[in-house]
Amino acid sequence: MVLLPWRRKVRGTEPVVSSFADLALPLLPALYNLATWLTRNADEAEDLVQETMLKALRGFASFEPGTNFKAWIFRILRNAFLTSRSGLQAMRTVALNDELEEDGARGPRLYPESIVNRRTPETEVMRIRAADALYVAMEKLPPPLLEVLLLCDVEEMKYQEIAMVVGIPIGTVMSRIARARASVRKELEEQSKSRRGAGI
Amino acid sequence: MTDHLSTATLSAFADGELSSEQAAAAQEHLDACLTCASNLIREWRLKSAIIKTGRRFELPADAEQRIIDLIAKHPPSDATQQKPAPASSMTRRNWSGYAGWATAAALLIALGFSLPSLRRHEVGAAAIASEVCDLHIAALAANEPPQVVSSDRHTVKPWFQGKLPFSFNLPQDLPQDTQLDGADLRYLDDRPVAQLLFSIGRHRASVFIEQRNGSSQPGVTVTHSGFQVIETATADLQIIAVSDADPQRLIVLANALRAAQAHP
Repeated sequence: MVLLPWRRKVRGTEPVVSSFADLALPLLPALYNLATWLTRNADEAEDLVQETMLKALRGFASFEPGTNFKAWIFRILRNAFLTSRSGLQAMRTVALNDELEEDGARGPRLYPESIVNRRTPETEVMRIRAADALYVAMEKLPPPLLEVLLLCDVEEMKYQEIAMVVGIPIGTVMSRIARARASVRKELEEQSKSRRGAGI
Repeated sequence: MTDHLSTATLSAFADGELSSEQAAAAQEHLDACLTCASNLIREWRLKSAIIKTGRRFELPADAEQRIIDLIAKHPPSDATQQKPAPASSMTRRNWSGYAGWATAAALLIALGFSLPSLRRHEVGAAAIASEVCDLHIAALAANEPPQVVSSDRHTVKPWFQGKLPFSFNLPQDLPQDTQLDGADLRYLDDRPVAQLLFSIGRHRASVFIEQRNGSSQPGVTVTHSGFQVIETATADLQIIAVSDADPQRLIVLANALRAAQAHP
């Protein structure tokens, strides 16, 4: 019987050395996706990813093996965005209260009892041009809410990882994600009302 | 029903981010409250839609090439090479040093494991192996405890209800010197999986349980990073165990998990 190991060619006695490219290149699509969401511009997004790569290359010696490279490089991208012109503009116009208002924190206020078993704004929007409607709703999110939502849902990061990337407490991550989803839901509801009003 | 779950709690529940105590309390409420249960379903639907819409912008090929060229312009140096990982877990093992594997392989056959045709599935299997190793290493490196911290199978198994599109059993009796430490919900190749965390003596092990798909090939594999990855399956489930523990003990654990599916 022969047990075939994976990647036989890399076996040896020398210690594992992962090159920057090995770690970073697979993340390029994800970095570009987030960069485009944040900058809302393809050229700026590419510049942002390039800047991120250069900064990450320079700082790679300080990266601790075994820790979370993805969170590390996303943090660099996020910081690069914050110091960019569009980032400064975007963040300057947003004032966030990271505590959920009590009125908005309880389920029934946002989800009235009467919605049960009825067609909801989300299901209706998802039925008609779902991706477009949702895209519009997400695009309207302020960057601090959009970034945590994308890191959570698209990048599948845990709250602790998002806290590392964004540099905020886990509790704030939790409240921002909830607020982001509530904002998206509200926007979908408004879109739904508009369509009903227009007879669509 | 007046005390409904807050939007933040529902959102965190949908993300699998509540502590085991919080999740249990939320689950108890959800079992009794149609409104919150309905809201949770909406939360999951919205999350699912956001995942699809969020992956919207594709990196153009020419832009990717420009970035790759940019990286290539920086010659490898100490500053651009990752430091060697800690020797205890990440040092490559010399294949010739695996004398125990012959015994392990014999045991595998005795236990009904089959060896895969790695030629056919080598690429996919390698990708999965890398991913499970990454998840296992992340679990070892994380400072935070798993989402479920319990050695009680009656606590761990119910926690996955509603989180996974399948169910599984945990063995009533674990192999000697093996202990269940907890569990996490993870995603492997975009599929939800249960990550069960065990201690085998002083070694840590992760066992991933997922729905079996058409391409799954039960068998044995070894990773270059010093972790053994062992794959077995029932008719419905795929079981992948990863650890740096003695491969024989890992096989016994994987087999116990497999046997438990037949005898709840």
